[in-house]
Amino acid sequence: MKLIEKFKKTFFTENPVTGLLLGLCPTLAVTSSAENGIGMGLATTFVLVGSNLVISILKNVIPNRVRIPAFIVVIATFVTIVDMGLQATMFDLHKTLGLFIPLIVVNCIILGRAEAFASKNGVWDSLIDGIANGLGFTFALFILGSIREILGSGAILGFKFWPEEYRTILVFVLAPGAFLTLGFMLVGMNKISKALQGGK
Amino acid sequence: MAKEESALKVIIVLVLIAFFSAFLLAYVNKVTSGPIEANKKAETKKAIGIVLGELKNYTFPENPQETQIDNSPVKYFLAKGADSTIIGYAIVVKGPNGFTNDFDMMVGLDADGKIIDTYVLDHKETPGLGDGMKTEGFKKQFRGKTLDDTKWSVKKDGGDIDALTAATITSRAFTGGVRRALLLYKKLKEETNV
Repeated sequence: MKLIEKFKKTFFTENPVTGLLLGLCPTLAVTSSAENGIGMGLATTFVLVGSNLVISILKNVIPNRVRIPAFIVVIATFVTIVDMGLQATMFDLHKTLGLFIPLIVVNCIILGRAEAFASKNGVWDSLIDGIANGLGFTFALFILGSIREILGSGAILGFKFWPEEYRTILVFVLAPGAFLTLGFMLVGMNKISKALQGGK
Repeated sequence: MAKEESALKVIIVLVLIAFFSAFLLAYVNKVTSGPIEANKKAETKKAIGIVLGELKNYTFPENPQETQIDNSPVKYFLAKGADSTIIGYAIVVKGPNGFTNDFDMMVGLDADGKIIDTYVLDHKETPGLGDGMKTEGFKKQFRGKTLDDTKWSVKKDGGDIDALTAATITSRAFTGGVRRALLLYKKLKEETNV
């Protein structure tokens, strides 16, 4: 039950993107299609779970004064592993996401969870926290990517349903479309969050 | 507030963390470098297969030769037929000044310098706009053309190439890349005739 609550929180009320407005750089940059959104979300989830795990194990060893550099080294290590792993296993996806993978290092969701959660909680809780936040992030990116792909390219997950000869709303695959979609998404997600919290 | 740790402890912990992450990365690098290299080779091979289209039974070297066109590096594979005459060229060029950056593309030419096909290797152009350069409708206008029978710029600039709708910059870059490949062909011809 506690677990379900936790996931509900990270998907809606405290979703890293739509609730806390963290990590908006990759959110806006890579979500021109649903597939990119999922790819980026899962890559970030892997890093988040890994860094949360390691940091919660090392939390008593790492001196308080240098905790940020220590966290960043741990995070950067996992990001580099993802980068090399993707290149070795999913070359095509890496071709589209490649530019943004190294930027996961500076995604504030990851450092944020390390600082706010993993450095104060046990290994198991940190693991769950990493998975929940990572999937919440993936969820937000997937929705954002889907909307932009449907409106902008007339396709979903690469499958084109809109006839070639009709125009699509091109602005949605461009940068301004990312901001517009995110704005409307925030409105929608806030409504859902309010409803979930009930009369509180 | 925890008590201040000694400088020695700080140094030791940081060194240890850095050491372990370096060790881990060295290991991952060792495991993945093989497949990554193989993926890149497979991609190049696939691209050569596409840009040389209908040509059959050719061999090409493992590694490309390199030169410069317009001060930009160009790599090329010479495809040789059974009697080791050159029957085609697979040329890797940069499409200069794309909408996001230069992008890598491959152009296949036959022995007479006619374009067989084109292939975009790696690009960051806008999905839905610039990446239309991969579509059949855009690519087909290049096939069979040579350096001399076409004005190599988009129609907006007084050339012969139909630009993609709302992606003139990408189309310019693509056309520029194709032109470089054709210039390389001319250069290679001149070198062999001298």
